[in-house]
Amino acid sequence: MSIRKEHGNVSETTFNSPVDIGPLSAPDGSVTVADAASTTKVQIRGGADTGAAAELGVGYGRSQRRADGALVCGTRPDEWTIYAGAGQASAITAALSEVFGHFQGEPGEGFVTVIDITHGRAMLRISGSNATAALNKICNLDLSDELTPDGAVFSASVGNVGCDLVRDDEGGQTSFLIGCERSFGKFLFIAVADACTEFGLSVPHGWELHGH
Amino acid sequence: MSNRLTAQPGEIIDRSTSLSFTWNGKAVTGHQGDTIASAIAASGVDVFGRSMKYHRKRGILTADHWDPNLFVQVGDEPNVRAGSRRLEAGMVVSTQNVWPSLEFDLGAANQLVGRFLSSGFYYKTFMRPKFLWPLYQKVLKKFAPGGRIHWETSTHDAYDKRYVHPDVLVAGGGPAGMGAALAAADNGASVLLVEQYGDLGGHLLWGDDAQRAQGADLAAACRAHANIEVLVDSTVTGRYDHNWISVMQRSHDIAPERLIKARAGVMVVAPGLVERPYVFAGNDTPGVILSGAARRLINLWAVKPGNRAVVMSANADGDAAVADLERVGVEVVAVLDARKGESIVSVEGKSRVSKVALSDGRTLNADLVVTATGWTAPTSLLNMAGDRPVYDATAARYFSNSLPSNILATGGITGDGSTAELEAHGRATGVLAANRALRRRHDRVAQTARSNDPAWDKPAEMADSRTPLNRVPHPECYRSTTHGMVDFSEDVSSKDLIQASKEGFDSIELMKRYTTVTMGPSQGKLETVNAAAVLAEANQVSMAEIGTTVWRPPFAPITLGALAGRIHEPVRRSALQDWHDAHGAAPLLAGQWVRPDHYGDPMGEADNVRNNVGLIDVTPLGKLDLRGPDVSKLLELVYVNKWSKLDIGRVRYGTMVAEDGVVSDDGVTGRLGEYHWLMTCTSSGAGAVWEMLEDWLQTYRPEWQVHVTAVTGGLTSINVAGPHSRTLLERIVEDVDLSADAFPYFSVRQGTVAGVSDCIIWRIGFTGELSYEVHVPSGHALHVWEELLAQGEDLGCRPFGVEAQRILRLEKGHYIVGQDTDGLSKAPTAGLGGLVKLDKPDTIGLPELKAAYERTDLPILVGVQTDDPEIVPEEAAQIVDGGSNTILGRITSSRMSPTLGRSVCLAQVDPSLAAAGSSITVLLADGRRVTATVQEHHAHVDPEGARQRV
Amino acid sequence: MIVVPCPNCGPRNSGDLRNCGELVPRPDPSTASLVEWREYLYMRKNPADWVTETWYCRGGCRRYFTIERNTATNEIRGQEAS
Repeated sequence: MSIRKEHGNVSETTFNSPVDIGPLSAPDGSVTVADAASTTKVQIRGGADTGAAAELGVGYGRSQRRADGALVCGTRPDEWTIYAGAGQASAITAALSEVFGHFQGEPGEGFVTVIDITHGRAMLRISGSNATAALNKICNLDLSDELTPDGAVFSASVGNVGCDLVRDDEGGQTSFLIGCERSFGKFLFIAVADACTEFGLSVPHGWELHGH
Repeated sequence: MSNRLTAQPGEIIDRSTSLSFTWNGKAVTGHQGDTIASAIAASGVDVFGRSMKYHRKRGILTADHWDPNLFVQVGDEPNVRAGSRRLEAGMVVSTQNVWPSLEFDLGAANQLVGRFLSSGFYYKTFMRPKFLWPLYQKVLKKFAPGGRIHWETSTHDAYDKRYVHPDVLVAGGGPAGMGAALAAADNGASVLLVEQYGDLGGHLLWGDDAQRAQGADLAAACRAHANIEVLVDSTVTGRYDHNWISVMQRSHDIAPERLIKARAGVMVVAPGLVERPYVFAGNDTPGVILSGAARRLINLWAVKPGNRAVVMSANADGDAAVADLERVGVEVVAVLDARKGESIVSVEGKSRVSKVALSDGRTLNADLVVTATGWTAPTSLLNMAGDRPVYDATAARYFSNSLPSNILATGGITGDGSTAELEAHGRATGVLAANRALRRRHDRVAQTARSNDPAWDKPAEMADSRTPLNRVPHPECYRSTTHGMVDFSEDVSSKDLIQASKEGFDSIELMKRYTTVTMGPSQGKLETVNAAAVLAEANQVSMAEIGTTVWRPPFAPITLGALAGRIHEPVRRSALQDWHDAHGAAPLLAGQWVRPDHYGDPMGEADNVRNNVGLIDVTPLGKLDLRGPDVSKLLELVYVNKWSKLDIGRVRYGTMVAEDGVVSDDGVTGRLGEYHWLMTCTSSGAGAVWEMLEDWLQTYRPEWQVHVTAVTGGLTSINVAGPHSRTLLERIVEDVDLSADAFPYFSVRQGTVAGVSDCIIWRIGFTGELSYEVHVPSGHALHVWEELLAQGEDLGCRPFGVEAQRILRLEKGHYIVGQDTDGLSKAPTAGLGGLVKLDKPDTIGLPELKAAYERTDLPILVGVQTDDPEIVPEEAAQIVDGGSNTILGRITSSRMSPTLGRSVCLAQVDPSLAAAGSSITVLLADGRRVTATVQEHHAHVDPEGARQRV
Repeated sequence: MIVVPCPNCGPRNSGDLRNCGELVPRPDPSTASLVEWREYLYMRKNPADWVTETWYCRGGCRRYFTIERNTATNEIRGQEAS
């Protein structure tokens, strides 16, 4: 007897984040950590001989917010990542294919590839007046305003996890987006939340760095 | 009997508070602002502990952080410095290094046998006979100094760390350091000001009214300045290349100690001066103190240090101590002016000074001896920056010689001056430091990709036009006509040093190591100069000729906990790990990944795969997305086999070797499109393979067009294995024809699984059964996993863990890189003969591969079965030559096979044993020797592979 | 923990990078003798002096680059001492 069932399509299946906990905040609001894994993340790579740099408009280390709200980041030399709200990967990828038309690495007038890395990267956001101080407990870079101004894009170790970061202030408030390989996502969240405990954030049971 | 004085003008204690604590079990009270030592001294205690070797009674000497006699146990924390640790209510304080008690200590008998404990006694006494070494160890442990640690200590969760990037880091919060911090901050630099003690001010704190007022003003200005972060009760412990500076922060709520790692533009070193003791017979008797100790006890904590005092003074600080003593009613029975050659000869007394012999022949009754005989310049941080200080006989201390441009010194280590002069020198130094630091910051901002270009001009380089501080002449007084203690921490006397010199240890660095002088917790702060002086005297040369020892990090001892900090050991979890946890999986930490080892019955799980269908989460499998027109060239280069002709939708197995021919990784790679490939590699090797591919593409073949993206965690990998696997997948795969003809073994398809599009389905497997590997975008992986289990319920579908995988894999004889191969295993060892193509123009390690295949002596990986099927040899059990211990190989993998009902192994053996049917001897861990037989194939089950090709 | 001037990122702590060692040219594997190949694999000058070495900016831009570093002083050529 067949037990074959109807299957839902992708849009009906939930996107599972590696972090199944809501935002954590210090009581005084000076620092907040929130999961952002469902952020759409699309990576574009293309050398100096392609139109990618001109089209995307930012160089390595800097970012720019587009009119549609997507954040275009110069993640590495000849590499960009577009961050956008959840569920926009196909739309963004399709739009880029209009521009570059060289998917799957087809040779042509410049070698550009586009890959949806939404599922491959965990992400969180840390915000607030103490966000920089908390992050500087587990990240060795100079995060001061002059070295790491709003819009700065960089990669660094955060709690011993290799991360891609963007300083992406919100409403005048210091804020960082931190992305990492998906499988490290839960540990990264725990490590960042732990760094915030000095500033009053309390970590729920089961999410302590040294608790289990 | 209380020694607490009436209110003193500069006291830092808050008399409205009363802090109760215990000292060796007795209840004592002190005040907020007291150190542990000042509170105990105020209660009338003279003896704080026993010395390390001779167990001599010891009291306060310096009443600060460097006091060698004030190490105490506080609760479960050993080696607390009572001279600087602030008192807290409820502390349980006790003496260290006494047995059985402070008053009656058996170790004191060592004084009677002193000659056995003289210089180098460790080397001389406990060498022979060798069979007594365990006894020596036992006895020495009894007498070992230091407190007790408790393994179950639970006073705090963790220590802490932090990174800082100040333009200018100032080490020392006295008048010069504060002046430097303020001037640097005023000139636009961000400043971290680090003070070792609980308050800013340095020696001004125990100075006169004007000095204290000036110190308070400077401290308030520092604390109020937006560009200055002040850390008190914190020590700069080390300076490393490129101004990487360690700061140990204490008394912060977050942890007992916090290691701050600073990258500073310029470090200003302003530690002030450390007063040094005078060497004479009995100089370690309780009641013999330094002038600074007298002044701190009186002025900071209102503690009367004694009743009848003899003072020996060589400087203004000694004279000020006389004034302080007289002001608080201590009877000063003699003042010896060292500038006129007067000195103390010896002291008598057991628990306290009672008689003092003077150089004029008099012997006086006194209970207090105060010496002010000069300074040690704590040039440690300068030493760490490469400076080798030089002795100046006129000032009777050492001064820096040459400093790199990112280090500046100010204050007492550079010269003498009034408070105003010290502050002025500090300010001039701060201006210079800011100039250098801002020039460096400008460069950093300009060079850093993530920052905008600097919006300010780089300042012009400023010349060092500071007016140096004077060097006030000071008598060289180090030792009287008698011998006394040089190193109080290590119980090393001037006599010991002279003996060492006579034995030939006549260079300062050799003498230090032979006698352990300067190697105790004071780390030379008190004893370095006296040691050099005694050696100069013994060698009959000048101090300058003797030189000095090199001061290395740390400036002050650091707890191991602070170095460890919080534990950031990242753990990787697949998108299914929460499900595994919730369904009884035993966790296994494999590299960084936590994985399901089994769900309770690994043998049953393996059996279910052979008979029904099982699911295993193999997400840790390394996965690299490769795109571009030149991928096949890259594969041809990095794999030992051929890759040029692989059709779209097909999969090939490949092995990688390093340039030295050693097997480094393996896996399958599938071609998804004309210019799109997916490479898999081992879990542990994925990072290294990625970096290796990038190296080739960036360094050696920049003309190739290939983009590599790591997608390991993005694609959750589920292996569906067993005879019913096709039936199961047919129920939930919508758009891929899974029939044997349309989707043969070693093929790959892209499709929709359980409604999830963009899945990749491989027909591959390591279990030997019909199997598929489904790669699902991780955000939807749990849905697919649960659908597979639900749809497969009637087929007997159950999850299996890593242990069942190991069993199944070994039954099939698939070797594991790093388990069945090692750091010396070249391609022939792994049995890759048919795979390796040596006729390629280039492949990694090609010359070594060619050489390896010409050799006949390399070990060979073979399948092995023990003759007794019940015996499972341990992995790494040696294969030996019969009854001898000559090693001919080792078992690399072994398991009981549920399919065959017998043990199965892989082994690396000497080529002479590699032929099928060879009998070998395996030496088990329990010493038994068992026989085993080499098999024809690596695979023990279905060597023809019939089961997986259905 | 020295500072390494990454040409892409700017100055970074050396712990963010991997030191791949002295730059050694790779011989043509199709013509190199085994002796030449092993010189490439194993033999290094290792001077207490200036050396050209390869670094991989593992934690940053993921680019390989070479710098000249004095192994005795950790001075890095072309960069202002920091």
